Amino acid sequence: MKVQELMTTKIESVDADRTVYDAVEKMVDRRIRSLMVRFPGKDLNYGIITARDIVFKVLAKGLNPNDVKVGEIASKPVACIGKNAAMNEVASLMEKKKNARIFVCENEKIIGIISLMDIMAGALIMRARGEHDF
Amino acid sequence: MIFEKILSLSKKEQEVTDNMREHIKLLCSACYLFRTALEKDDRNLMRNLIDLERESDSIRREIISKIYDGAFLPYLRPDLCRFVEIVDHVFDVLEDTAHYYLDGKIPEQIKNECIRIAYLNLKICEMLLITFEAMLKGDDLREKTLAIRIYEKKIDDIKFSLIKDIHKIPVSNFWEGKILSDFISSLTTISDIVEDASDYLQIINVSMK
Repeated sequence: MKVQELMTTKIESVDADRTVYDAVEKMVDRRIRSLMVRFPGKDLNYGIITARDIVFKVLAKGLNPNDVKVGEIASKPVACIGKNAAMNEVASLMEKKKNARIFVCENEKIIGIISLMDIMAGALIMRARGEHDF
Repeated sequence: MIFEKILSLSKKEQEVTDNMREHIKLLCSACYLFRTALEKDDRNLMRNLIDLERESDSIRREIISKIYDGAFLPYLRPDLCRFVEIVDHVFDVLEDTAHYYLDGKIPEQIKNECIRIAYLNLKICEMLLITFEAMLKGDDLREKTLAIRIYEKKIDDIKFSLIKDIHKIPVSNFWEGKILSDFISSLTTISDIVEDASDYLQIINVSMK
């Protein structure tokens, strides 16, 4: 099974110069746990901000989310993989980078995102099909 | 296992299962055609779906008449017929979706997500075929039906995000908005019906034991 089969193509994003409060608002509203962060400049100048970053780097430290910019706490650069990569390759990359989400890139552009849950769903579908990549 | 024994009883039953397989394979072809036509924005190709739906009707009639002509034990017949009707209902909804596509215009903002749903619809139908084959062998269907539910959930997630997106798309009149809304609703209903069909396979499988 290839990554493109289960990746999420609708990627929610936030500009790096917005506040953490804006990011929290968007994440809670859309019920998602991460946002792609757009830094100004060339293509692929992206980062990622997760619920974990917000809670540990801002809220737990007693900082005001309105005073912290998203770009200050986002992780950068992001880990990328091609859309034709196999699920076990993504799992290995996640393990190596210690990331729960990997971006799917094509021609210097981000076209999707794949998460740990997608990897598990992919493993179940492969079992049902009688394929055994894992 | 019992199902295997029942199926090996006569030529009639073999013909029915061959037709049911053909019906689901035709559904996979129809989903593939829909996805290709949507991707290439090929309206002529999309019109071919209407012929496939007619072919599906004819296979459904053949299966049901063979069943009531004496294939299978009487207590099995209603369940088998119901499954065939659910599969046929997927064709009906797919044809409706093709009509909405031909009547309107898919806005560029949501086109990629619609193609993605069409792709997942094809995958869920392929999984239904795998589930059907597993049932004929008397295998446990648990893993197969779970895979179908995973695809269905994936499509559901895209559906909710699409509904949010279409609120932002301006429409020039009531009918344009209605056709777009009906198109999305039909496109995202296909996986629900396939899930119902897979649940029915599970019921048939369990009732055999």
